[in-house]
Amino acid sequence: MRDKLTPKNIGISLIILLVPAFMYLIDAFALYVSSNYGVMLPLPSGDYILRIIVQAGVYILLAVGLNIVCGDTGLLDLGYAGFYLIGGYTAGLLMARLGFSYWIALPLAVLNGALWGLLRGIPTLRLTGDYFAIVTFGFAELLVQVVKNEIWLIGGPNGFVNNIPPVTIFGIELFQNWHHYYHILILILLTVFITYRLKESRVGRAWTAIREDEQAAESMGINLSRYKSLAFAVSAAVGALGGGFIAQFQVNISAKLFDFWESIFILCMVVLGGTGSIRGSIIGAAILATLGELLRGGNILPSEFGGARYLIFGVILIVIMRFRPSGLAVKKA
Amino acid sequence: MDQFIVQLVNGLVLGGIYALIAVGYTMVYGIIQLINFAHGEIFMFGAYFAFVLVTVFGLPFWVALPVSMLLCALLGVLIDVVAYRPLRNAPRLSALITAIGISLALQNLARLIWSASQQSFPDESKPKIFISDIDVQTGAIINAIPLPGGAILPYRDVFILLLAVVLMIGLNRLIYLTKIGKAMRACAENQTAANLMGINTNMVISVTFAIGSALGAVAGVMVGLREVIEPTMGYYKGVAAFAAAVLGGIGNITGAMVGGIVIGIAETFGADIHSGYRLAFAYVIMILVILIRPSGLFGKSTSKRA
Repeated sequence: MRDKLTPKNIGISLIILLVPAFMYLIDAFALYVSSNYGVMLPLPSGDYILRIIVQAGVYILLAVGLNIVCGDTGLLDLGYAGFYLIGGYTAGLLMARLGFSYWIALPLAVLNGALWGLLRGIPTLRLTGDYFAIVTFGFAELLVQVVKNEIWLIGGPNGFVNNIPPVTIFGIELFQNWHHYYHILILILLTVFITYRLKESRVGRAWTAIREDEQAAESMGINLSRYKSLAFAVSAAVGALGGGFIAQFQVNISAKLFDFWESIFILCMVVLGGTGSIRGSIIGAAILATLGELLRGGNILPSEFGGARYLIFGVILIVIMRFRPSGLAVKKA
Repeated sequence: MDQFIVQLVNGLVLGGIYALIAVGYTMVYGIIQLINFAHGEIFMFGAYFAFVLVTVFGLPFWVALPVSMLLCALLGVLIDVVAYRPLRNAPRLSALITAIGISLALQNLARLIWSASQQSFPDESKPKIFISDIDVQTGAIINAIPLPGGAILPYRDVFILLLAVVLMIGLNRLIYLTKIGKAMRACAENQTAANLMGINTNMVISVTFAIGSALGAVAGVMVGLREVIEPTMGYYKGVAAFAAAVLGGIGNITGAMVGGIVIGIAETFGADIHSGYRLAFAYVIMILVILIRPSGLFGKSTSKRA
């Protein structure tokens, strides 16, 4: 499945590259009409849409990262938001409290994520199925508790880190939504490229073998511990990368951003798209992140029904498992 | 020392509640090897059912409790039949993901119906004997047992503890002395073989869900009496109870009872040390048990199930 430079692919790439321009055109057009003709067009704010797209981009990144453990090695990770949290707080604290540059804080966040991925991974190497899922869940919950309680470290109650400075590159502050758009686009491309290359390599084949049958894989000479640890570390690093991005994107972060339901939300994306498929994760994340934003109270639903979106996500999980366990984007096996 | 006894009693009562919930997790796991994530939500619905029956329908508390148990039993069976039964032969993780989906859906359904705010049983709806107080003028203790150090143990808490013990013993007798209990043990041992011996396994599984859910409902109502009712209670209490089930050895009913008591006491004393980490103790115990002794305190170490 090697992608070629077909006109279709070039077209899609161009559209992806020009999204911000298009969004700002909407805004400019609405402004032009309203100032010249005095009519307010019923157009949504392009800048706002762009922000939602960036948020969806973060979820795409996270879903691709979670998919490495859930899809490729077949272990259910219920605590992926833990790595997202580690990335977010590493980068956030380094930048807001120690004045680090983003370009140093982000790699450190990713490294820290990978380290924690290993720390969590090594004791759980021999666990399978539910037991692995429970430990991952407990681990992430503990992290949330720590962030909420260790005020000396975090600087505020409930894990609040405020005023994370914007990213600067060559003296230019990257705080506009189109800055964020290209920023996350580059991170996604990088991540997808690396995970894709990993999947198609010896490592990816080892992961698939482990997923299909651990014992058979081991007897074929695959070093289970090494390949599983690698999967944990890579997956955690991607989660932390997403966290590092979100820290500067949101400016203020709190423990609420990284709770258990966030893990489930990301899992829901992977399951919806189809576990084990990078394309599926991207599609699942794009659908659910958009849906989640649309159903946020005040957009389509009245604000008191904001919680209903989680109800819908729950139903999606149930229905997908019942009728299409392989996911939407994957052809039925 | 006085403080110690008070906290020990509090821990025991909380532990009794956890044990009632934990049994639901462990029974279902014992039979179909599924972590029924939705069990915490059933427990939460138990509290809300009783709350609605008491406040909206004006039923007396002693009627609302059994009706709520019945409704929760039905809810549990419904979840099993609609969501889990079709996945019996699917990979186990599919069922686990479904369970999480149900949990998510039910929790937010409760939030939609009853709002996220905390509720509690109005005082006039509670049985008189459960309203404990110390008379300010005379210093007389009403409906409570005095504890050393001026604290009191309300009859309500005594009742909760006794009820938990009675229900546990009843459950134990049910499993070891009745025909359906024998069928449950047979299914836990080997479902296919049980089926071949003429046991209606689907029926047995439904009964398991019904019993576990009804006990969860009792726990829910008890928590409603002691604390508050809110949509997230199923999640927080559910996780602690699940930790109890893991500690006792998941699939083992005696283990669930002991585990519940241990977690309850650990949480109460833990909250004394650092209240912010109240919940963390259950998580730590759960993780340590799984890493060090996955079969729990009472479980037999089983060979790896595929």
